[in-house]
Amino acid sequence: MIISDKIIETTIEIFTTMVMMEVSADGPLLVKSGTLCDTITGMIGLAGTHKGVLAIHIPHYVALAITSSFLGMDVEEINDDVRDAVGELANMLGGNIKNILSENGRDIELSLPSTVAGHEYDFSATTDVDLFILPFKTSAGNFMVELQLEK
Amino acid sequence: MGHNVLLVDDSSTMRKIVGRSLRQAGLEFDNIYEAADGLLALEVLEKESVDIVLSDINMPNMDGISFLREKANRAHMKEIPVFMISTETGDDIINEAKALGAVGAIKKPFTADMVSEILGPFLHK
Repeated sequence: MIISDKIIETTIEIFTTMVMMEVSADGPLLVKSGTLCDTITGMIGLAGTHKGVLAIHIPHYVALAITSSFLGMDVEEINDDVRDAVGELANMLGGNIKNILSENGRDIELSLPSTVAGHEYDFSATTDVDLFILPFKTSAGNFMVELQLEK
Repeated sequence: MGHNVLLVDDSSTMRKIVGRSLRQAGLEFDNIYEAADGLLALEVLEKESVDIVLSDINMPNMDGISFLREKANRAHMKEIPVFMISTETGDDIINEAKALGAVGAIKKPFTADMVSEILGPFLHK
């Protein structure tokens, strides 16, 4: 199975089992994530036999809905709960992608997850990478999962 | 009779989710303690009576493997069972965790049913 299919499978599994939210792929791979507006990005680094970054870009209003569903309580602003939930989504995605890239996750180390949020920013690699940017849709809105892997 | 459980994860979201899954699984606990890393988990184990620990692996300050190693060196807490809850469920790291005393592992993402299936038999012994 190719990497993009695995990312879709993993994302759907995480959202269905942990976030309690239905999610589906929303079209083919994107060429770039573009300028991200009123968005929060959760990211985690991969090092070892595969080097890169796994990120999830979620518009603020979608992140509030996701965090509310994740925690089972209403969340109305981008706060520590939202940052922690989005970071944990990146962590779970990264951990599962690691196991896809390397047998049993062997020889790949994960960083700790981190988040960035803002009104307008670009998320781009500074080195030559293979890019997998997948759009997803939920009833609350859309988001993207992006994997950058060093060539 | 209920049990006391310690949840160790740097993500407050994940601690809440694990706690919710335990309740949904119908597992009885008198107290659910929380710690954000291995160092803080050791502090809880020094002060509280804990029957079972559920611990993440990838954490700041002291990760889950170092926590197991340190706990194994403290005679008064070395017998407290630890289940790992992590995305890190490759054979190598789980075998390392088991060699240091972990009794099982739950892979993220998980459902309440999976938690019940893995922990239920252990808690109802």
